[in-house]
Amino acid sequence: MTDFLFDVIATELEDAVGRENCSTRTIDKLTHSVDYFWLSRMWADRGLRMPEGDFIVAPKDAKEVSAVLKIANYYKIPVTTWGAGGGTQGGAIPVCGGIVLDTKRMNKIYDVNTQGMYIECGTGAIYKHIEWAANEKGYATMHYPSSLTCSTVGGFLAHRGIGVSSTKYGKIDDMVLQMEVVLPNGDIIETSPAPKHAAGPDLNQIFIGSEGTLGVMTKAQMRIYEQPESRQFRGFLFHNMTDAFNAGRELLQKFKPSVMRLYDEAETASLIKKIVGVEKKGAFMNIAIEGVKEMADLEMKILLETFGKYGAEDLGSEYGEKWWKEKITFFYPGHMMDIPQCFGTMDTIAPYDKIEKIYWAMKEAIETNFPQAKFIAHFSHWYEWGCMIYDRFIVDGKDVPRDPHEAFRLHQAIWNCGVRTALANGGVVNDHHGVGIKLGRLMKEQYGPAMQVFEGIKKQLDPNGIMNPFKLGL
Amino acid sequence: MQFTQKSKEHIDACRFCWMCHHVCPIGNATGLERNTARARALGLSMVARDSIEYSDDIISNVYECSLCGGCMTDCVTGWDPVMFTKEARLGAALDGKLPDYVMKMLMNINEKGNIYGADKNENIPEINGGDILFFVGEDTRAKGCAKTAVELLKKADVKFTLLKDEPSSGYSMDFLIGAAAETKAVMENCARTLNNYKKVICYDPSDAKVMMREYKEWGIELKAEVVTFTAFVAELIEGGKLKIKKSDMVFTPQDSPLLARDLEETEPIRKALSACGEIREMLLNREHTMLAGNLIMNEYMPAVIRKVAENRWINAKNADTMILVTASPAEYLMLSETKPEGIDLMKLEEAITKCL
Repeated sequence: MTDFLFDVIATELEDAVGRENCSTRTIDKLTHSVDYFWLSRMWADRGLRMPEGDFIVAPKDAKEVSAVLKIANYYKIPVTTWGAGGGTQGGAIPVCGGIVLDTKRMNKIYDVNTQGMYIECGTGAIYKHIEWAANEKGYATMHYPSSLTCSTVGGFLAHRGIGVSSTKYGKIDDMVLQMEVVLPNGDIIETSPAPKHAAGPDLNQIFIGSEGTLGVMTKAQMRIYEQPESRQFRGFLFHNMTDAFNAGRELLQKFKPSVMRLYDEAETASLIKKIVGVEKKGAFMNIAIEGVKEMADLEMKILLETFGKYGAEDLGSEYGEKWWKEKITFFYPGHMMDIPQCFGTMDTIAPYDKIEKIYWAMKEAIETNFPQAKFIAHFSHWYEWGCMIYDRFIVDGKDVPRDPHEAFRLHQAIWNCGVRTALANGGVVNDHHGVGIKLGRLMKEQYGPAMQVFEGIKKQLDPNGIMNPFKLGL
Repeated sequence: MQFTQKSKEHIDACRFCWMCHHVCPIGNATGLERNTARARALGLSMVARDSIEYSDDIISNVYECSLCGGCMTDCVTGWDPVMFTKEARLGAALDGKLPDYVMKMLMNINEKGNIYGADKNENIPEINGGDILFFVGEDTRAKGCAKTAVELLKKADVKFTLLKDEPSSGYSMDFLIGAAAETKAVMENCARTLNNYKKVICYDPSDAKVMMREYKEWGIELKAEVVTFTAFVAELIEGGKLKIKKSDMVFTPQDSPLLARDLEETEPIRKALSACGEIREMLLNREHTMLAGNLIMNEYMPAVIRKVAENRWINAKNADTMILVTASPAEYLMLSETKPEGIDLMKLEEAITKCL
């Protein structure tokens, strides 16, 4: 691009969003080039610059987003949407340069609607802020991921995020009623006024999880809930994973706890020991039950009876309460994996008839092919039909190649091995962190010819291919 | 730019961590990614690795932080973005790279004793009342008014001295360039004045913060006992020196981050207000408070600081606040500029005076 054309585009973008909201400053380009993806962190740690956007724009509403997308389409410049940058899959990294569209100025909370039980807000709102808004009126969003304080509503929607109380309250895609979306051509659309209908396919679900490849979500109505009268915790220790899966499956045919988290022996002996203080050998499982007290009391009785059948040791409420209190502590620097380690979370999901097989297959594949990697896992989102594995590999800093390109190769090889093993045994590319640039190549391996459905939608909505190129495998 | 090892550790811990994103009053006001502790840390980490220059661009980002300590309080591990931000400001000063607006304020402090370059306020009377000094502070002298506070002390029969010429406490210098020799010299000069008294009642939490913390940290001898105006007044009420008639007024305290976080003082304002009426808390109170104004930053990014105050009014409104009460002159000024209809704003001394 010539300097002249650069200035032409810059002035048009400034005209669209205001000069103070269109930046070419180093600090803005730099901070929008490193997200929570291990690669971008490793790269920056080694003093290297990741691909950067040429223009960082921060529109205040759908109209301004529309203006930006029209400019981008005309000049055929890539547009990468950025929420708060907490994604682990490199979905927000502007790998082709161009425009980075930061959504955080679209952070207005329009309505806390206690009749319709939703909050209407801009998708640039930090989720904790909408939780605060709900709390101020005596309600709660019940979306409590570790990244609650540092991710936007749009960010969670873009990659199908999930919180720790998902078993009772659902995933982010269960929590949205209606959305406003700006299509790549600049048209502003609204999805159906209610999410459960028979008026054709659900438009919400086309854009949720699309990671900025099909448009920009600009406004959303997110569900709120009454605060539970009672929230009760119970910790258990299982002798083996099989018993734990069977107990969990049986419990879910009876009622839905809010929190269900099973840690394998390796994670029980490391993270759970460190943060929660469980010293015993076995697989730790934490359950939370909440709602009207009378019902919660009854559910607790059913829980104890059910888990008792599978030989689970009842550890009482203390560990569960501690876990709830510390649920975010796990993710602060000093408690979490960090550079110079090489690590990744290869979360996948499957029905109960496959999940344990996937766990053991992934563990064996990683530990056999990469003996320098440690494999730990927990199972944190449960349904009547199956659950997810939050399995992680960790390579100590001393075993990570000094050459950043070689370090990257090691990282990619472990991921290929882990995800391909999951796919081969009936899992999916990812459960709730999304795909981004990290796993795009594996999407075709999961979907095969079904990928043409995504490609067809992409081609129709974004014929110039400007929206977040190379993400989602699109 | 050379960072200390301690700063480097904190910068490296924060550069890839977003956990405190939600508590930054500046980031919440601007919606800009660069106004986060992690963005500032990332930029400085790249400077520390010689990957980018410590340029005007990076330096101006360092000055977009209010040093309110919200991030530090939120961090369960104890990482401290305030510490490395102040060190980066000192580094900019030592490298001769201070932004023009910072230079202007430093020159104003040097020439006039305040960041604004305001002439001495001739309306402030001199009171010679013995060995208790009522220290008003440079911001109130230049921009505010402590008349009601003075009257309140008189009503309690407190014998105090009010200086016609008051030295700068060093707060502004500390905010702008951190632990520079020049800052220490200003603080030492102030300490010499303070040491002529047994007790100092500090009206402005900004001044109290440096006198009670930084002076000690930097080995500046301070013989005088320093108390905040808030704590002093709460004691007067508790000791019966101020006769309060409890009213039916409902007060919502706006905790100054300087009092609540730096000085860990959250209860005196509540003790005083609960004697006067009822207290209704708003979201983010005590040490988790949200900044509502900063007069130094208001000099170079007024629109953002205005938005910071407006955001705090939203919390007040959502709590059905009737009267918002602050003990911070800076926050009072910014909140009064942005006050919405239907909620009253009072300084602490005004709330108390109404109940005498």
